[in-house]
Amino acid sequence: MNNKLKVLRAMRNWSQAELADRLDVSRQAVNAIETGKYDPSLPLAFKLARLFAMPIEEIFDDGFEG
Amino acid sequence: MASKDRMMVTEPQEPRAPGFIWPAAICFGAIFLAGILAGYSKAAAEAGKATLAPWAGPLIAATLGIAGLFFYFRRHADWFRALSRRRRRYWTALGLAAVIGGIVGVWASFDQPANRGAIEMAFTGSLSANFAIGASLFWVIGLLVSMIIYHRSIDDHEERAWLWAGLAGWYAFIFPAPVWWVLHRAGLAPPADAMLLFVLSMVANCVVYLWLKFR
Repeated sequence: MNNKLKVLRAMRNWSQAELADRLDVSRQAVNAIETGKYDPSLPLAFKLARLFAMPIEEIFDDGFEG
Repeated sequence: MASKDRMMVTEPQEPRAPGFIWPAAICFGAIFLAGILAGYSKAAAEAGKATLAPWAGPLIAATLGIAGLFFYFRRHADWFRALSRRRRRYWTALGLAAVIGGIVGVWASFDQPANRGAIEMAFTGSLSANFAIGASLFWVIGLLVSMIIYHRSIDDHEERAWLWAGLAGWYAFIFPAPVWWVLHRAGLAPPADAMLLFVLSMVANCVVYLWLKFR
């Protein structure tokens, strides 16, 4: 699943470690989400959405075009 | 005139993270002490004097080592408190597991005759009943406590890595074990080696975990 996490993080000038601290996850988790190797759980996706004040579907794109 | 130094604003400093030199020195000190006590016991036995109980030396050394580490890390309590709850739990679990592993490892090395090779010492040599019972208790109770803390601290990503790693470890056991068993019954293979199957399962578990966590 594609996502804009890297862009959103860069806009705030946060490192992966800083974002990980804000989400209370490991830096490896942030890296794995950014590189598309891991899709976060729903609670973590909501946490991201709250942190960036955006709807989940604006951060993540599952490629579906209905 | 105020000096330049006094005009400068002092930025609040982040608590310093503990280093590795002092903990390593404390661990080596504890091992050294355990060695001295083992040597004392051996010399006393040779002289026909009363010796320390087999568990006393490792226990004294481990207690002093743990106390030393406790006081060292207490000096860095601010750093520890500044961590998130998840990271505090994480480091507590890993620290506990390391201490238990260290105690069992040091005890194992002093439980055996000095002339044993590394392979014999680690895998094939006989062990005393005291060590076997003590190490089993350390393993079960220590692992239980540290794993409860650890699994409460890990995030979704690491949990997923462990779930797949656990499944890989399970497959690494259930594929070869029945094959080996039937081959042995047909006289085509030696008896199944439980320890070899255990190691195979652990290796599969470890490889998959590291791959999913750190790739």
